[in-house]
This record gives sequence, C-alpha cells and structure tokens, in this order.
Amino acid sequence: MLSTLQPPRTLSRFPLHFPSTKKPRRHVHISKPTSSWQPITNPTLTDQSQLSTSTPQRSQILSIRHSLLSRHVTATQLADSYLTRLRLTEPLLNSFLHVSNTVLKQAQEIDDKIKNNEDVGPLAGVLVGVKDNICTADMPSTGGSRVLEGYRPPFDATAVKRVKELGGIVVGKTNLDEFGMGSTTEASAFQVTANPWDVSRVPGGSSGGSAAAVSARQCVVSLGSDTGGSVRQPASFCGVVGLKPTYGRVSRFGLMAYASSLDVIGCFGSSVADTGILLHAISGHDSRDATSSKREVPDFTSQFISPNILESKPLKELRVGLIHEALDDGVDTSVKSAIHAAASHLEELGCTLSEVSLPSFSLGLPAYYILASSESSSNLSRYDGLRYGNQAAADELNALYGDSRASGFGPEVKMRILMGTYALSAGYYDAYYNRAQQVRTLIQKSFEAALDDNDILISPAAPSAAYKIGEKIDDPLSMYAGDIMTVNVNMAGLPALVLPCGFVEGGPAGLPVGLQMIGAAFDEGKLLKVAHVFEQTLRCSSFIPPLIADGIEL
Amino acid sequence: MGSRGLLLLKVPSQKPHHFLLNKSFSKLLIRNCSTTKTTTGSSLQPPDLPRLAQTARISLTTHEIEEFAPKIRQVIDWFGQLQAVDLNSIEPAIRAVADTEGDNLRDDIPETFDNREAMIAAVPSYETPYIKVPKVLNKE
Repeated sequence: MLSTLQPPRTLSRFPLHFPSTKKPRRHVHISKPTSSWQPITNPTLTDQSQLSTSTPQRSQILSIRHSLLSRHVTATQLADSYLTRLRLTEPLLNSFLHVSNTVLKQAQEIDDKIKNNEDVGPLAGVLVGVKDNICTADMPSTGGSRVLEGYRPPFDATAVKRVKELGGIVVGKTNLDEFGMGSTTEASAFQVTANPWDVSRVPGGSSGGSAAAVSARQCVVSLGSDTGGSVRQPASFCGVVGLKPTYGRVSRFGLMAYASSLDVIGCFGSSVADTGILLHAISGHDSRDATSSKREVPDFTSQFISPNILESKPLKELRVGLIHEALDDGVDTSVKSAIHAAASHLEELGCTLSEVSLPSFSLGLPAYYILASSESSSNLSRYDGLRYGNQAAADELNALYGDSRASGFGPEVKMRILMGTYALSAGYYDAYYNRAQQVRTLIQKSFEAALDDNDILISPAAPSAAYKIGEKIDDPLSMYAGDIMTVNVNMAGLPALVLPCGFVEGGPAGLPVGLQMIGAAFDEGKLLKVAHVFEQTLRCSSFIPPLIADGIEL
Repeated sequence: MGSRGLLLLKVPSQKPHHFLLNKSFSKLLIRNCSTTKTTTGSSLQPPDLPRLAQTARISLTTHEIEEFAPKIRQVIDWFGQLQAVDLNSIEPAIRAVADTEGDNLRDDIPETFDNREAMIAAVPSYETPYIKVPKVLNKE
C-alpha cells in the first residue's frame, strides 16, 4: 500500500502518454517537488518555494504557479497539453458544449507578462471549465437548453469575472442537465456526458460536465452550480472534490436562476487545496446580488500545510457527527462500508465520532422539490422568446410565448414548471409552498442543533455510485430519491464538501465514492482544513480514472 | 358537499380575490386532512394539465399531456406527504441563512449598463426602438 509520502502526481505538465501498467502509476514530472503552500495573497514573482524531495504535491494550481514562475514550463505549453488531452477524450466524454478558441492566445499573454517580469494573478495559466448556466460574454451560454441555443450574454457572471481577473483561462462551457434540473446530464438538450471511470455510466448532475472535465484532467478546476446537490453528487460519481459554499458566500450574478433561495455556484478540483483556492477566488460580496453576504472572506488557503509537519493526531478534539438517517436501507452496502471506513480514518486522525439524528431528514426531499419547482416556474417565465433566446413563429402573442417555450424547453423542465405552477396556484400555496417553507425552518433548526454538538457532520453524497446511462430516465421519483443526501444542506444554506474516500465495484477499475462533510454557515475554512488533512493522509488516494491513467491511445 | 364542493371543483385561478377565498378553504382542507388521516395525504384537486400549461404559457401537445399527466400526478401525490406533518406554529423560512437579511439596500441611483448594444442585438425581433411582437388577442 502506498504511504502518505507519495511522489507528486502531475498529469498535466507533459504529454499524456503514460506507460501502460497494470495499476495506474504515479510519475514525477516536476523536477523539484515542493512543499510550499504559499498563501495566494502573495502573488509576487519572487516567490521562493521551499523545496523538499519527500512531500506529496496536492495542488495543481500551486504547482502550476511554481512551474511558471520558475520558468520550468510556459503557460502555452501547459495549455497545449491540456487542450490535447481534452480533444482526445472529448469524443468519449462529451463534457463540453463549447471550447474556447482563445486559450492559447491568453496563455501567450501570460507568458509575455512573465517574460517582462510583470505580476500575474494566482490563477495565471490555470484552465477553468465553466458550467453552461453561468454567463460568459465571449462564449455561448445555453443553460443546456434549446431556448438559449446560440445565446451570448452581454456580460460575464461575477464568478467568471473574478476568475479572469486573477489570471484564470476559461477553457470552455461544460454540459449540464437543462437549467440545472436533473442528476445525470441526460436532460441536457444537446448531449449526455459520460463518466470518465466508466463511459457507460452517468457522471452525475446537474454539473456532470464540470465534474467529468476535472476528473479526466481536461481542465484544472471548474465551476458548477448546486441547488440540490448538483456539485456534490457528480463530485462523488466522478471521484473529484466538489465544494458547495454557504448560500450568499459567492455571488449568483450571472448564474441562470433555477431556485433563487437554494442556488449557489460551487467549485470542482482534483484536490481539496485546488477547490479551496478557486472558492477563495470567487467568494465575496457583490452589490449586483442582493442575497450575497457582506461577511468578510477569510483566507481559506493559508491553512493548507504539508502532512509531514502535522502532529500524529492532527484533528484532535474535532467532533464529527455521522448522520444516522443518511445510512439507512436505501443506501448501497458498499457505499456504507466506504463511509464507515472514512469515519474510522477520521477517528485515527484524532476526531471524536458520534452518531447524530436529523429527524426531519426525509421530509426535506419533497419539501425541496416543492420549493425548487415552484421557484423555477417563476424563474423560467423570463424565457418567453421576446427579448433573447429562440423565438417561434406565431401570429399572436400568447402563441408566440407558448410555442417558443414548448419548442425550447425539454420534457423535464416542462414538467417541473407545470408542477411549480400547480403548487403556487391560488388555493394551493398553503398546502405546498408554505408548508415546504415551514419544513425548511425545521431542517435549519435541526442542523443548527447538530452543529452545536459537532464541528462537522458527515454522510455519503449519494446512495450509490454512478449508475448506467438510461437507467433512471423514465422514473422521476427514483431519480429524485437519489438527492436525499444533498437537498437538506441546500435547504439550510450550509456549506458542504465532497471528496473521494474509496471505491465500489463496477467499471474497469472500480467506481469512486465520495464522503460529504457539512459545516456550519460560513465555516468553509474548517471544512477545507478537515478535508485537506483527510485527503493527505488517505492511503488509497489515486483517484485518476483509467481512461487517462493508462495513456490515451484510443 | 354543496357549495364547498363546488369550490373544490373550481379550477385554480390566479385572480387575487379568488385566491383569498380559496385560501381559507384550503386551510380547512388541511385541517380535515390531518384529522381524517387520509393515506394519500392531499385531497386537493388533482392537476389540470391543459389549464396549468396555459397559465405557464407552454403549448403542450396531446401526446405530451398524456405522457406528463401520470408522472406529474405521481410527484404531486408524493408532495402530499407534507400534509400529514404537524407544522403548527412553525414559521416559514423564505430562504436559508439569515445573514443576508435587512441591510441589503443600495442607493437609489440608476446605473447604465455598459453593453446595451449587445442586449439589443440579442432581441429576436427588433425594429428600432421597438421590440416587435405579433398582435395580442384578449381571450377572456
């Protein structure tokens, strides 16, 4: 078994051909592995990383920065190697709806700045995928829907703007279930994304494209959105880290609204550190989002330290609550084992583990769907074919609305709009929407109580690993049932992180399973700290899908 | 069932005064639901798809109505389990964290969007300075 001091895993630096072996092997591509965890608030060109030969590299972003600033590699070489891998894997995966044609140009601009000893931002040269329901001015933003096919927004979402300001390169727009409504990307109007661990299986959803892209190392990190689990469940299915921030932590300006009281923009990375760095980059108050919090954003990233300077029980006194209702009969046995193993690992690190009961847990699912479909019926009424998007031909206004929407929206979206319309109808508001709001209060209170007694709560991110494409497409309730682990967190507005913790049987090399960690509101720092320590000390931590680990000779 | 029954059969409408009237009846329904402990939860009128589609301005085909109706019915029945829960004296929560409430106002100063040309260019049917629409027929 591999020790915790593993040679760095870097796939992105140089071309993709890894020698074919039975087990995916790690290859050291950086000549000087670093143990530096420079806070990103210090982006000067004179960064001196401390070099050590024995510590694992756990941040692609920091390693890229080091390599660029020490002139070991150029941003152009880096971008080129990612783009090559992207092009080779896309026919199998279909993660992207649009790939930028200015990536190399932007990389060249970064190289020019470095050559001239100018400052470059902490995300310089980092390729970022953006879910297609997040507006980008220079690329189409379709929301996965025909109603916005070809639409180019006149502005960038605030999160995208911040990524670009820090030097990040948006490599393309990733596939999603239409307007975020779905858990597999099968409800995309354009294509179904495949899971890099087994291309006959779903990547999860709705941010399936963003998760698959990071998993297959088509980009370094990516942005997604999470209304009921749409970042966390695909992170679990694809074996990557997914982070859902507290509601209000990240501006929603430019995120196509699905359910305004639940939506957040979230991050994917191949490591906890990368996910945290991206989160820090996009967090903070935005005057254009009235629901964004004015609370100060702490530097989440300065707490990433190398494991060899950790004490033997680095998480001593941390109280972890295992959610009882999340490990009942509906969950696959093999997933339960993986979660219990993860819980033991936390205990080994010094945590005090206890079981916690959240009695309103199962009510959260119907309450969530009432709120989400109600709010979406209102939010999607703007797609009327008049001011933007696709317009059907009609000689009368109501028919223009009706036909534009009928031909633009897919069946899942139509059904949810109709359900929401019903739930909000006169006479039904009290029975459904109002009651669901009351359930929300119950859920908030029960999490609050649980988080008084515990620092973090843990659970699976989904009741199973990735299932086959087409398996759940005809039964909406069966697909909705898979969201039970995640929706309550959105109802309470809390932050949560999912990181891969083990495998179950299936596919050519097993299927990854993610552990969900839930924290108190605005306590992303603690989540990142615990997750980082967990990740750095996990024995089985090669979460590279066989598709790319064995080289890509297709 | 008499007049109450007639109101139950009435198709849900968006008009404000009907809302107020139906609201008091739906409160009665919820109370009745919890005392009689109906197994399916909701005794509210099942979804009338053609009417809902009209309200939501989506032109559904007959095929779609046939396909969607049972699925929607199934989900709405499932929503009904909320009726069986005792939620008396629980305040409804509009959104999650209370952090974002209260002082989130800005000055009442208009800001001009810096890319109006792009917004106008996105309009499918534009004839300066109008967004062009076909004729409006008042059905009701």
